[in-house]
Amino acid sequence: MRWFALLCAVGICLLLGLAVGEHWINPFAPGDALEQTILWELRFPRLLTAFAVGGLLALAGAWFQVLLGNPLAEPYVLGVAGSASAGAVSGLMFMPESAWLMSVGAFAGAWIGIVAVMFFAHLGPNRMLLAGVVLAAFWSAVLALLLALLPEQGLFRAFSWMMGDLSHSDLPISVLLLAWVVALVCGLILSRSLDKLLLGERHAEALGVDVKRLRKRLLLLASAVTALAVTAAGTIGFVGLVIPHLMRLLFGSLHKAVLPASAIGGGLLLVLADSAARTVIAPAELPVGILTAIIGVPVFLFLLIRRN
Amino acid sequence: MSVLLELSDLSITRGGRILLSGLGCTIKAGEVVVVLGPNGAGKSSLLLALTGLIPASGGIELQGRPLAAYGRDELSQSIAWQGELPPTEFGLTVRQRLELAAGEAGSEIETSAAAMDVAPLLQRPLGELSSGERQRTELAALMLRDAPIWLLDEPTAHLDLKHQIHCMHMIKEQRAKGRAIVTVLHDLQQAMAIADHLILIDGKSGAEYGEAKQLFTGNRLSHLFDAPVIRQGSVFVPNYGEKR
Repeated sequence: MRWFALLCAVGICLLLGLAVGEHWINPFAPGDALEQTILWELRFPRLLTAFAVGGLLALAGAWFQVLLGNPLAEPYVLGVAGSASAGAVSGLMFMPESAWLMSVGAFAGAWIGIVAVMFFAHLGPNRMLLAGVVLAAFWSAVLALLLALLPEQGLFRAFSWMMGDLSHSDLPISVLLLAWVVALVCGLILSRSLDKLLLGERHAEALGVDVKRLRKRLLLLASAVTALAVTAAGTIGFVGLVIPHLMRLLFGSLHKAVLPASAIGGGLLLVLADSAARTVIAPAELPVGILTAIIGVPVFLFLLIRRN
Repeated sequence: MSVLLELSDLSITRGGRILLSGLGCTIKAGEVVVVLGPNGAGKSSLLLALTGLIPASGGIELQGRPLAAYGRDELSQSIAWQGELPPTEFGLTVRQRLELAAGEAGSEIETSAAAMDVAPLLQRPLGELSSGERQRTELAALMLRDAPIWLLDEPTAHLDLKHQIHCMHMIKEQRAKGRAIVTVLHDLQQAMAIADHLILIDGKSGAEYGEAKQLFTGNRLSHLFDAPVIRQGSVFVPNYGEKR
């Protein structure tokens, strides 16, 4: 029943996302060729991007929470957002008008951040988390320096990207959707081991899990997914933190349910947030990261209180 | 009875401190070995080393093969470990906890839950339980493991009297079924009730192994714990009236 409700919600939100924006368009009966173009060449690809990015962020969040044994972990906890942002702004410094170079910079920056964290992976979850927090502070400083040096025409672009921006995604939608599917399948393959890791490292090992190998795989997988999501849409907060918790409250703690529910739920939240971002101050747009926080946080808190 | 575990000249060092050295013993199917010693002596570390969770020098042979030759999954088929209570942050329920332990034995969850009095708690998250209820859940999870060797780290911790007795009966039943059980205990009466052999770890790198009836003496226990232990009838108890 809950799965049916979740899938129905996805359908409804996708339809809503197609309909709303600067102009209301009936998705079942677009008025003319222009409306058809807006629906299928502008709004639909953007909705799919939002769905895939949201799903990837939620999956990464669920993985980081288990990897670090910390329910407050989220995809950017190890500094990947900071390094990706520094990379994106570096790209803007060379060519302030180039979205392409910004994406390349973000992707490269994300991976530099991941490689930096990998050096600390052998220290165990707590020290890796600590190293990640310190690295995040370092990347913030680098980012602040780059922003101070950035030509004025690049500043708006940089801030917009840093608060989440689905309007300039250069990654092909097919790549994002494929990544969504591959990430979910990889997650499901690892799901039994992830469940055992919820019991703590020693219990997991005693139940036959090679925890070191699992941690490495998980770190790589979660980081790669985060890098892709950041490259596609900038840094969008709260999806990776809130959605896995929400899905645990609704579907239980086992990953064979949490991961698909998060992949769908994360997509749903970002589709909703992006639809609202395109609509509330139309024709201008709000950064979608603001809306994920405004929608996600109260829903999460409500469910938390209700559960108690 | 077949030898399941064989330790030879085993030494464990943690944080630069030698916890124990020179321990040798054989552990056979259908026997209970109780590990006694003061806090911090290395009792839990010994169990972790036998599970392959921490390194140790010397020899550990499991069913005739060096422990290091076993893969993690293979090791888990032979050894079941009960230790610290698992974290509760992620909202696992008692049933889910038992499912993770059960593997192929999923159909026996109800039976083991009933045996440890956690059947009414199956749908409850672990975080809502008392420490005693969580400990009973861990023991129910242990009962679902088909491994021939059980390593138990204070199985009666947090348990009320009724469930301490339950736990002792369960250990005896498993011994009768041919399981080898190595368990850390602090209660001397419990240890006397079930031990076939003892491993005494004194916290000064010394370790001694022998038959329970030979090692259970007031002097030896007093020396081991650096605290007065006296005999009362057929049992040894701490002498609360005397302070060293």
